[in-house]
Formats: sequence, structure tokens, C-alpha cells
Amino acid sequence: MLKFASTRLLSAIPTLFIVSVAVFGLIRLIPGDPASLMLGDLADADALAAARKTMGLDQPVPVQFLIWLGNVVQGDLGRSVLNGQPVLDLVLHRFATSAQMVLIAVGLSVLIAVPLGMAAAWRQNGGLDLTIVALSTLLLSVPTFWLGLMILLAFGLKLGWLPVLGYVSIADNPVAGLIYLVMPVLTLVLHEVGIIVRMARASTLDVLRLDYITHARAKGMSESAVLLHHAARNAFGPTWTLIGLILGNLLGGVAVVETVFTIPGLGRLIVDSIYARDYAVVQGCLLFVALTYLLVNLVVDLLYPLFDPRVTAE
Amino acid sequence: MSLSRSLLHACLSSVALALPGLAMASTLTVQITADIRSSQPGINRDAGTDSVMLNVVEGLVAAGEKGEIRPMLAKDWSVSADGKAYTFTIRDGVKFHNGETMTAADVEWSLEKLIRDPEFSCKTFFDGSRDAKVETIKATDDRTVVITLDRPDAMFLNYMAQAQCGSTGIVHRASFNGDGSWKAPVATGPFVFGDWKRGEGLVLKKFADYSITGDKPDGYGGRKDVLVDQVKYMVVPDTATAVAGLRSGALDVLPYLPPGEAAKLKDEKDFTIVAAPHGGLVTMLFQTTDTLMSNVAMRHAVIAALDTPAIVDSVTYGLGIPNNSLVSSGSLYHTATHDKGYVYDPQAVPALLQKAGYKGEKIVILTNRRSAINYDTAIIAQAMLQSAGINAEIEVLEWASQLDRFNSGKYQIMAFNYSNRTDPGLAYQTVVGSKAKKPNTVWDDADVAALVNKSLQEADPEKRQAIFDDLHARFLDQAPFVMLANGLDVGVSGPKVRGYRTWQGFARFWGVERSE
Amino acid sequence: MKRHQPNRIIGGALLSCFLGAALVGRFWTPYDPMRLDLRSKLQAPGAAHWLGTDEFGRDVLSRLMAAAGTSVSISLITVFFAVLGGVTLGVIAGYARGWTDRIVMALNDALLAFPSMLLALALLSVTGANMYGIILALGMAYTPAMVRVVRGSVLSLREREFIEASRLMGNSAAYTMFRHILPNSLGPVIVLATSMFGSVLLTESALSFLGLGVPPPAPTWGNMLASARPHIAEAMWLGIFPGLCISLSLLGINLFGDAIRDRFDPRMRGL
Repeated sequence: MLKFASTRLLSAIPTLFIVSVAVFGLIRLIPGDPASLMLGDLADADALAAARKTMGLDQPVPVQFLIWLGNVVQGDLGRSVLNGQPVLDLVLHRFATSAQMVLIAVGLSVLIAVPLGMAAAWRQNGGLDLTIVALSTLLLSVPTFWLGLMILLAFGLKLGWLPVLGYVSIADNPVAGLIYLVMPVLTLVLHEVGIIVRMARASTLDVLRLDYITHARAKGMSESAVLLHHAARNAFGPTWTLIGLILGNLLGGVAVVETVFTIPGLGRLIVDSIYARDYAVVQGCLLFVALTYLLVNLVVDLLYPLFDPRVTAE
Repeated sequence: MSLSRSLLHACLSSVALALPGLAMASTLTVQITADIRSSQPGINRDAGTDSVMLNVVEGLVAAGEKGEIRPMLAKDWSVSADGKAYTFTIRDGVKFHNGETMTAADVEWSLEKLIRDPEFSCKTFFDGSRDAKVETIKATDDRTVVITLDRPDAMFLNYMAQAQCGSTGIVHRASFNGDGSWKAPVATGPFVFGDWKRGEGLVLKKFADYSITGDKPDGYGGRKDVLVDQVKYMVVPDTATAVAGLRSGALDVLPYLPPGEAAKLKDEKDFTIVAAPHGGLVTMLFQTTDTLMSNVAMRHAVIAALDTPAIVDSVTYGLGIPNNSLVSSGSLYHTATHDKGYVYDPQAVPALLQKAGYKGEKIVILTNRRSAINYDTAIIAQAMLQSAGINAEIEVLEWASQLDRFNSGKYQIMAFNYSNRTDPGLAYQTVVGSKAKKPNTVWDDADVAALVNKSLQEADPEKRQAIFDDLHARFLDQAPFVMLANGLDVGVSGPKVRGYRTWQGFARFWGVERSE
Repeated sequence: MKRHQPNRIIGGALLSCFLGAALVGRFWTPYDPMRLDLRSKLQAPGAAHWLGTDEFGRDVLSRLMAAAGTSVSISLITVFFAVLGGVTLGVIAGYARGWTDRIVMALNDALLAFPSMLLALALLSVTGANMYGIILALGMAYTPAMVRVVRGSVLSLREREFIEASRLMGNSAAYTMFRHILPNSLGPVIVLATSMFGSVLLTESALSFLGLGVPPPAPTWGNMLASARPHIAEAMWLGIFPGLCISLSLLGINLFGDAIRDRFDPRMRGL
């Protein structure tokens, strides 16, 4: 297991390298650069050239890449051209903000969605099943930029229960921090529940059809015992993979939710930096996101055998 | 229900007490859509940063309500006969935010530091590459500063007062760290730069020792009475959230709102809409070197197919004033001559198209979603062109990409806004020039360029008026682009706010009151 | 098979409804979906405009009908690419394991970590803002998740007795993959693919929200939903109708997806 983990971590290095080359290339492929954005319609050739020089953009792209890579290896992700902050500080700070929201949301979603999905599978094609499927489908088809706004208007404005905007870190003030997280977490939970329910239902259905379940039933075990002892344990595999994907995806930023609820998280940082062509920040963020993704997926694969004894982690 | 609700309220208000700033007396809470870029005026900036920082810093001179030059830190000034030396007398007893009194030596040091900085965003205004070069800045005694130029420049004081240049604001040496890097502004303005939480917002505090001058507010000059204890800026990128914040009372002022959003709040008595056109230009640019658009008959055909007053009315929700002249509708120079504009004449289009030899080629209109005005303009214009038989299509670009196309001149038609130009001469100067030298130029005509230069060097208003009238006639005749209206910034303030006005697109917070 | 009837019928009915609307919308709509009428902006649903008008006075019903074709084809093609790429790579990686697995997964994880917005921006700047660029960007963004899920399911399947048996019987790897592994991993694939169908419509909507979607004035459900957002307070219908179209088509495809799965599921055959 330890060997498995260390091989996986080693094999992450090429992935991270691919990510950094691709990000470096792609962001420069997009037209527009930070110098012209800063100067706006004041730009003339001299001013542009001068601004590019101070930003280090006058060098050929491969040279820029090598300089950047050399610094990254030494742990220096560079500075933001927008406000001069060190990228590493910026990324870690923003990540902490996003992570507390995402971890709570995914935890709650799993607790709600997995039992619902199994219940639906257990009563396949019954009224309960159809209701759960229809509701989860409905949740899936509401974009978060709508859902978030409706929740904001309902709880923040109409009912006045929660503060409409602002943000306090949980580390600074746990009570206030949690209050500010209620609406964004609710938005995320409603959306993710829709996805996880359907996967949990499908994988439970798969398992329920297997021979050993039939055997268990034939042996006279009660339905609930079958469901809890045999099906639950074995049905969780694909759902678990999906949860890993969702977690990785959300930790990489929930820009829309962060925008609607004015949370200074990583997702908004990435989107803002792409718009501002803040190259160093985009590169730093995506490298960090890729690393998070790899770690989350590694943990998912390591824990997979717990849910599906047939698979060994190696 | 009511019990649980009041419990919740009690709980929330105790939370509010624990939050810094929220429970303070007379705090004005203001939306900014993006964080400021830096606290160093004129160095690392954008329009939003200028709008915040000009509450903190002041220059020797300032732009007045109508764009005329007003004294600020300078009491008065004189220009030598050859127009090359400016002698400023600075005001007595002006205090920096750290309590020290400003001297001429401070002014010399600060200006020298800013103007010679290679990262100064207005560097080209002062180093001879556009106009005159600043040769020396000297404090000749405790109260006098002399600036000498290499040649006369009628626009010199205008450049000094420009917001993009941070109003060439005077800051104390303590604004910098020992190694010469920037720390935070220690300036002379009515607000002190306070706590800045990056990505979340910042606080400006009232400067108790501010030395008031003038008798009434006048642009960035004049009297600046601070009537609140502090101004708290919050980064709220989403307009819908900001409007909800305004309704709930969490925000007091939204300085920049898409006109459509403002129009919805207009009829509600709690909210005050402030809309004022400024010297910016709302346009549809033609690329006059494009095979199709280089034909003047083609450009006239496009213009005849556009009902420009209807476009302006629709995209600004009735808040904008149609104006087909580059002389802004609020300017002293906007006489009846400049009211003459385009004629909407769809019947004339086929003949013009035939004259241009148009055979249904596709024309692409570039636009973006950052500016609601640009986006709506493109949609409406495209429909009008289509119905007049011009095969127009829309391409929506992300803003930085569109700006790139603007700078390289690679487009056919583009919905574009120019930022504020305080003087008609500067508005013409922005669009006129040689495309070979500067690809983002729109109107490439040597005679016109000479006229524009003349207008910038001419001090006599009557002669300037004649030049602007001539330029407008040429503009309508050559149709190098479609001028729709002047830039429009719409702001809204909540029920507790008194006295908030918008001016030239800036959010100033002196003279603004908040009742409890 | 009998007990699946209602779901299949509802699913089929919803899908044919939308396909019908898409087909009719190509040839006929009540109004011209692109025609502006600045005098009748934001009109509530009524006799003249059954589903109201939008912020430019365009007829919402006509736009929904015209959008059906574009939206459904963007979504179907994207999902088709994601399934094709995802299943191929996932089965190969999961079955072969070792180095092949590592290489495929290294590339896959690199792609997964990419925000779809950056991909879309980069690809659209090359292809220009059009439907194909969007399909390409979305397809690339959606494939890696499919690869991961398929690989996970194959990893679990290859330990089962019947796969072992097929191998012992001397069947080739390709035969085992196609005959035994593929059909048995269809469950999660169909679930993910049907979820993706909706998700693609929403991502297209989010891209439109950022100004990167299908260029106007051509409507899609996604860009209609995105441009309705500022009017949420006074013109709710502008968001509700395209939202309903996305919901109902998604429900239809889900129910239908379940039916397809049962049909192809070897364990369900002959029931």
C-alpha cells in the first residue's frame, strides 16, 4: 500500500509537468495580455512595450517558461502582475477559503444522497423511485448561477435570515464564519445531491442483480439486511469514484457560487486571473489544482478496496 | 416563528458586533466590482482603482466640474511668457496623513519620484513622446515649485489633473519602505487609506486634520467635507448580489450599475439614481482599411441603416443622451452645430450599397459581455443592418481578447467604449492618427490630425470652437466610425444616503452623508 | 419488461416532444426568433406571445423552438465524444493496467485539472466563437471524468469470476473486453452520460453567461437562461421556460437511458 502510494505520487510528476506546459502555452495562446489590459485605450506602442518589459513579457515564451519552471522547482511561484502579491500565499489563502466550504458541502451531499439513491434502487420503478429520480433530475438542471441567486433572494432578502453579502473566515470567528457559509453550502449541496443520488441508485441496482444477493435473499435474509450488509458495501464503488471526481472538481474552484455569495475563494481567483491575464497566478493556481486533484484521486483509489473488496490497491 | 426569528436576529447582531467595521457609527458601504490593483496612484491602476484612490490623494491641480483646471494643493500658478515654465505656489498648512506639514521640497520629491518612474502609467505624457518633456522640477523656496518643459504644451495642466495619472498626486516619503518599494499612501486627501483585505475590500477613514479649501465641491477640486467616519468598499462582482445587498441595507452605494438594472430601481422611492454622461465615447468602430469598410459609401450605408437615437434609448434604458459628435454633450463647445447628426434613412440604403458595390458579403460586429451597453448595441445594430439588407453577424469576445483586436486593428465593426476624455481636443486626439504608426487609431487623415493638434495647442476658446465645428463636419462626411453617445455611468444610493452624486464616472465620498 | 413501461413511455414521449419541436423549429416558428421589437420588451406571457418576450422584444416560444435543435445537438455530440473517448481509454487503461494505465491516467488527470473555461477560451480563440469550438471544448472537458469512471468499473469487473473464466478459456483480450467487460460497465456509463447531457447544457449556459457560448443572436436554451438572469425579479418567465426545457429533456433522456441500459444489460436479457 505504501509502495502503491509512493509510485502514484512519483507518477504524478509527469502529470504536473504536462499541466504546467499546457497551462503556460494555452494562456499565452489566448489573445490579449496584461500590459494592454492595464493601459486600456491609453495604449500606444511605446507604453505597451515598456509595460511588457517590466512584466517580463518581452522575453521569448520558451525562455519565460524555463525561468518560471526554474523558480517553481525552488518553491517560488512568482508574483501576481495585478497586485504584486506572492502567488503561493495567494493560492494557499484562497484555497483554504474554498476548501472549508467544499468539504462541508460534499460531506453533507454524500450523507443525504447515498441513502436516497439506495432507497430509490430498492423500490425501483415505484412511486418513491420516480419521485427521487424526478427531483434529482430537476436539481441537476438548475444552473448554480440561478439556484444561488434564488437562495440569496429568498433567505437573504425576503426572509432576512442570513446576511446577503460579506465573508468572515471560520478561523477568525467560527460562528459568523459558519453563518456566512450557509447559503453557498446549501447551493452546492442541492446541486451535488442531484448527481450523487443517480449514481448511487444505478450502482445499487447493478449490485442487487448479482447472484450473491439472490442467494442472500433465497436464504431468507430480510430485505433491509440484504440492502445494508451486502448491497450497500458493494454498491459504493462507482459512487466513491464519482465523489472523488466531484471533490477534486469543486476544490479546483466554485467560481459561480463564490461570485454570487462574494466569497474570496480559489475559483474566483482563477477566473479573475484568466480575465486579467495574470499569467503567474493562473499557472500557480492550476498547478496547485492539479496537485489537489491527484491527491484526492490517490486517496480515493487507496480507499476503494474498503468499498469494493474485489479490487486491491496496487 | 417570531420567537425563533428574533432569536436569529439577536444571534446575527451579536455576530455583526464581532465583525470589524460593520457596527461602527456612520460607515458608508460601497460596492466595487473588482479589487483595486494597488494603493500606489498612477503606477499600477485601472479605472476602478483611480476612483477609490482619488479620495485619498490630491495633486497640485485638479479637474473641475466641467473639466476646467482648478487649484488643489497649489494655491495658484503662473506660466512664463514662452509657455515653458510653470511656477506653483503651494497652500499653507496642508497636512499629510501622518501629521507632517507639506512643503515645496515634499512636492518636488514626490513629483520627481512619480514622473521619472518607468512604470508610471502616464509616463508618455511627460517624457516628450507625446507632447512636452518635463525637464526640471525644483522647489525654489518653502512655498514655490517650478516645473520647466522643453516646449510649450497647452495640455500640460490637463495631464497633471488626469485621473489615469493618479492626478499626479503628492505623497509623503513615508509612503515608501526603506528600500524604495511602495508601502501605503501617506497623502493629503480627505480620506486616509485604511485596512485593505485583498480580494474582499478596503476601508478609507475620515482624515480629521484635512485642510479644507474652496467654498463648494467642484469636480476633484473645491470643498471636500467628509460627513461619514469611514467608507467601506466591498468587492461584490455579481450585479444581482449587489442589488440584493442594496435592498437589504448591507450596501449603501452601487457606483457602477448596468443601465438596465438602474432603470428597474428608478421608480422605487427608497433609491436615488444618479446618472451623468461624461467625456467617454460609446461607439461602433469601423476598420477603414478593411476591403469592405474602406468604402465611404458602405460606411454611410451602415449609418443610414441604424436608428441611432433608438439604439441609445434602448441600450441606456432612456438614461443616455444620443450624441453624434465627439464634443461631449456636457461640454461648453457642444453648440447647435454639434447637434447635427446622422439621418436614419433605410430607404437610402440600397442605393448606397449599390454605389459601394456591396454583394452581400458577411460583416462581423465584435462585442463583449463585460459592457452591457456594447453587447446590447451589437445585438440591436445587427438586427437593424440585417433588415436593411446588410449581412451582419455578431462575434462575442471576452474583453481582453477584444481589446487585443482593438489594439491590433483587426476587425470590421466593433462595439467599443472609450474611457473619459475631459476635453474635446483629447477626445479627437484619441481616435485620430496614423494607422501605420498606431494600429488602434480609427480615423486616419493627415488634415484632420493637423487640426486636432492645432486645437490642443490653441488657448483661445473661440478659435477652438471653430476647429471643433470644422472637425465635426468632416466627421459626418467621412464617417470613420459611429458615435452613438457619451459615456454614461449610472450609480444608485440607498435610503440612508444623502448627497451622493456621480461625476465623470468617479465615485467621490466627500459631501455624502449617511443617516442612522 | 412490463414493469418498465411507464418510465419508458414518459421518457420516450418527452424526448419525441423535444425532437419534434426541434424539427418543426427548423422550418416554422410563430414569430421570427431573431426579430427585435424594441417596443414590446419583456412582455409577460399572453395571447400574442404565449411565453412572453425577452429583453429585446423577441418571442420566447419561437426562440425556444429554434434553440431546441442547437442545444440538443451540441449536447448529444459532446456526450457522444465523451462516451466514445472515455469508454475506449477507460477500458484500455483499466484492463491493461501497468504502463498503459499510467500514461493514459497521467494525461487524463492533467486534462481533469483544467478548468473548462480556460479550455473554452483557448479553443475558441483558435476556432472562433462557433458551435464546433464549443463542442470541442466541452468534449475535451467531459471525457476525462468518463475515463475515470469506466476505468474504475473495469478494475472491479476484471476481478470477477466470469472474466477470469473467459481469459482461461483462451479468449483474446479484445474479445473479453468487448464481449464481457464493456456490456457490464454500461450501467455507470449510461448514468454518467445522461447526467452529462444535462450538465453540457448548463455548462454551455455558464459559458454564455461569461460571453463564450454560442454567439448571439442565435438562441440556445443555455444562452437564453444566461441572459434572463438579470431579469429574474420582474420577468421570471424568461428563465423558467428555458430552464424547464433543460429539466424535461434531461428527465426524458434519463428515463430513456434507464430503459436502454436494461435492454443492453446481459443480466436482464430474456427477462
